[in-house]
Amino acid sequence: MSTPAPTTSSTPVPGRVAFAPWLLLAPFFVLFAVFTAYPLIGSLWLSTRQTFGPGASKGVGMGNFSQLLQDPLFWRALRNTLVFTLGSVLIQLPLSLLLAMALNRPNLRGRAVLRLIMFAPVLVGVVFVGMMFSVIFEKRTGMLNQLLHSVSGWNLDFPWLETYVMPALIIATLWQYVGFNMVYFLAALQNVPQELDEAACMDGAGVLSRFRHVVLPAIRPVGTFVVLLSIIGSFQLFELPYILFNATGGPDNRGLSLVLYLYQCGFQTGDLGYASAIGWAMAVVLMGCAILQRVVSAKGEAA
Amino acid sequence: MATPKDTSQHGTSTEGAPRWIGPIVMTGVAIASAVLAMAFPAESREGSRMWVAARLHHEIYVPAVEEWNQAHPLQVHMTLLGTQAVEQRMLSAFMARTPTAELVEVERRPAARAFAGPIDSVGFLDLTERLRADGLLETINGPSFTPWTSRGRIFGIPHDVHPVMLGYRADIVEAAGIDVSQIETWDDFARVLGPLMLKPDGTKRDDRFLLNMWDAGAHIDVMEVLTLQAGGGLVDERGVPTLDHPANARVLAHTMSWAFGPDRIAADAPYFTASGNKLLVDGFVLASFVPDWMCNIWRKEIPQLSGKVKLMPLPAWERGGRRTSVWGGTMLGISRDAKNPDELWEFAKHLYISPERARDLFVQGDIISPVRAFWTDPVYDQLDPYFCNQARGRLYVNLAGEVPQRYNSPFSALALLRMQACMTKLAAYARTSGDGTAERLLPEARRLLKEAQSDIMRHVKRNRFFVEETGLTFTDAGEVAR
Repeated sequence: MSTPAPTTSSTPVPGRVAFAPWLLLAPFFVLFAVFTAYPLIGSLWLSTRQTFGPGASKGVGMGNFSQLLQDPLFWRALRNTLVFTLGSVLIQLPLSLLLAMALNRPNLRGRAVLRLIMFAPVLVGVVFVGMMFSVIFEKRTGMLNQLLHSVSGWNLDFPWLETYVMPALIIATLWQYVGFNMVYFLAALQNVPQELDEAACMDGAGVLSRFRHVVLPAIRPVGTFVVLLSIIGSFQLFELPYILFNATGGPDNRGLSLVLYLYQCGFQTGDLGYASAIGWAMAVVLMGCAILQRVVSAKGEAA
Repeated sequence: MATPKDTSQHGTSTEGAPRWIGPIVMTGVAIASAVLAMAFPAESREGSRMWVAARLHHEIYVPAVEEWNQAHPLQVHMTLLGTQAVEQRMLSAFMARTPTAELVEVERRPAARAFAGPIDSVGFLDLTERLRADGLLETINGPSFTPWTSRGRIFGIPHDVHPVMLGYRADIVEAAGIDVSQIETWDDFARVLGPLMLKPDGTKRDDRFLLNMWDAGAHIDVMEVLTLQAGGGLVDERGVPTLDHPANARVLAHTMSWAFGPDRIAADAPYFTASGNKLLVDGFVLASFVPDWMCNIWRKEIPQLSGKVKLMPLPAWERGGRRTSVWGGTMLGISRDAKNPDELWEFAKHLYISPERARDLFVQGDIISPVRAFWTDPVYDQLDPYFCNQARGRLYVNLAGEVPQRYNSPFSALALLRMQACMTKLAAYARTSGDGTAERLLPEARRLLKEAQSDIMRHVKRNRFFVEETGLTFTDAGEVAR
């Protein structure tokens, strides 16, 4: 049996210019330059200007950034976003991991269906989730108040969305994304070497000990990735407060996120320069989070 | 086995290609793509484009546009878009100076954003002289122009007046033998209808309140309605925020007292929601704020109220005071870059300033025309079975002349957000202070509004363009010299 002869096209010919790799890379680079690099540079330039409507733009140097430092609403939005991020990461990820471990048990009946049920909320749009939770948390006609009233004579007019702004946002996000992160953890758990787990078991390690010394190190890379993904996602919080609080920051701006504030400044007040400055401030905070997360992760790996 | 030759030291890639070839190839691809894209320009139709955001308006305009297109060489192609889509496309086009629809029907807040910046950079055509030349400044109800006016120039033809009345449950009120004609002021309203309250503790499904008013949702718009009625408002004629206006403090204190005070009369039946509509049907609140356009929404979305509700003028803030206000509004603007401004102006008049369209607008949309001459049309005298055979049109027309001036500004949206924050804070104060009477809340309302005003004025002062364009001057204390 003869082996196929190597094709000549894969053999570099000395002195001949190779266009193919560049041609294949070109669409990506062109799109990256037009839709990522140019807007990034443009927004950096815009953050040093004050704009007002279509025809007014003046350079203000670092004026927008110094204004940000004195802007109580910016700090409010930053604080809200950080609280939301912490709430999301600290509640959502352990819950996702627990769910993944529960659904990873090989003897669990209806495992596939349960996985689908847990994952299904991700398939629903954020806008729909916002509308659904506004119906749940509504005062007199809301499902939650109606249910509690039927059970215990609960105050039908209890204002959930006015009293618990941040918990409402976290719960809605939890409902939608816990299954999404669960899938990542599930994939990681399936790659945990069984022989290690069995060996630890034979050595007399308990469930917690095996989790800490076998499972956790094995899923650490995925965990790190999911944490970073959740932080970035949480910083992009916009649609939920927009829907739940009618495009405002909610009662006393307790639901004002950084992106919502950026939107208000850029598209409601018309100062795109200030909005760009908010965007860059957010990017700096995110980069800080990413670096911190890398450092913590590296220390964990070293330990 | 031979290892690959590292040629990086010699300025060529591993396959022998020079390093400079990459950027050259990519630039070539970019140019070729651009040429290809330009070789197939976007499909363009002869004539002018028009964007409309309200489905109802679109339905009403279809025959008028067809009629125009049959009689005139300039063809108008009308497109129905979402409100956000119109706003974003319009503002993006104005900012980037890219083509937009020649005619855009737009609401008050997006219009304010389009008016930002130097007056000669506004994306809409200045219609002031055309309106004056055609005598429309006198024909159209004056307050209908103010939302579309910036620095004395008018950028749109007004579509409406939108007076506001109270829609109330006549079946319940009349069954109790109460005559609403005794009600002249808000104090009368609470006193006369007070016996109909079912004392609330939030634990019964049959609670009943007198007024639909709260500190969140569309009630923020209602707050603006009430401040305008009382002589206050969010911005003055220059577009400068006026949150600390004494009338605003008075209204804020009273409304939050209605909702959270010891003599509570108000509750939340959220506007434009199914849950709010159900609460109206249940009689949870007796009266809601109803501008003319909302009659159409009620008719379509709450048919259960047919024959059970009536309209009455808003109670005034003092005896002999204003009995209405204004809520909502739309204009038709012509793009500054439109190729046929004269013909488009004629089309705009055909659409907005004709007795036939005015009649259609009322019959199909329940909206009364801003053209005063049309107010004598008998169509407004038709009895409306939905509203217990009241001559609904005539009731609104009778109040149309009383509609307050309502100014517009790029800071209107921000002022509204700050007003909302004040409402929430005062509501919390009323809940916790133990004495939420209007008198007790008034000093706190003043303090909160003053604080909000200083905050928003930081944004105004920072905006060099706005300060220069409006010629604002500031006192030594940093306040606007009024």
